[in-house]
Amino acid sequence: MAAETTQVYQLYIKASPEQVWEAITSNEFRGKYFHGSIVESTFKPGSRIRAWSPDHSALWNDNEVIESDPPRRLVHTWSSLYDTEMAGEPESRVTWEITPQDGGISKLTLTHDQLDRSPKTAGSVSGGWMLILCGLKTVVETGEPLTASLAGMQRTQAG
Amino acid sequence: MDDDDRVFKALADPTRRHLLDRLFERDGRTLGDLASGEDMTRFGVMRHLRVLEDAGLIVVRRSGREKRHYLNTVPIQLIYERWIDKYRAGRVSALADLKKGLEA
Repeated sequence: MAAETTQVYQLYIKASPEQVWEAITSNEFRGKYFHGSIVESTFKPGSRIRAWSPDHSALWNDNEVIESDPPRRLVHTWSSLYDTEMAGEPESRVTWEITPQDGGISKLTLTHDQLDRSPKTAGSVSGGWMLILCGLKTVVETGEPLTASLAGMQRTQAG
Repeated sequence: MDDDDRVFKALADPTRRHLLDRLFERDGRTLGDLASGEDMTRFGVMRHLRVLEDAGLIVVRRSGREKRHYLNTVPIQLIYERWIDKYRAGRVSALADLKKGLEA
């Protein structure tokens, strides 16, 4: 594993591991923080994780589940099909780990590695994961997507 | 101390900010690598890394016999959303309201 091309993201969410797992795997939740994408998968080992654009016209990801241990661990391949240059790079790997903490809090750690020969993908996902994970936290803790809560706040201030 | 307190405290030190910048340039560095770039003892750098780890700004992973340090940008984004974006959005809409009022 090349350390310098490995990306690690970690955050704490006020929710049970089951709720976090649901947010990662259910289409209803994912649409609210994952660029509005539509996801199709059983999230069982060997199954595909297909993510489509919101209008279902473009296939953004077609990944494979490598390991699945609900609600603790999910490992899948990653390829960015939404960009032709990135789509030509080798597949990388994404690992989601959910660890329960005291006080009804879960620690979520996302590791994106095997990016050694995929520099374009590495550059593109680094800001992306940060926003997606912050969005996931907001959706799980408040039930509302981040952009909607900001819009709501602006409306309140304006009114 | 809550999560935000720990992040602000961690960022309130030039050596710790420098360590974050070095991980931003190249991630997954060892303690030896990080210590060699700072003008202080290995123990001093270890203490700073510990504060950064407690704030969640770095994640430490064991890789064989080595410990690797990874930059975690999520707490900075959460601070941005909570403490910067909010006030900026407020100012922008206040200016927009002023403009509307003046032009009416």
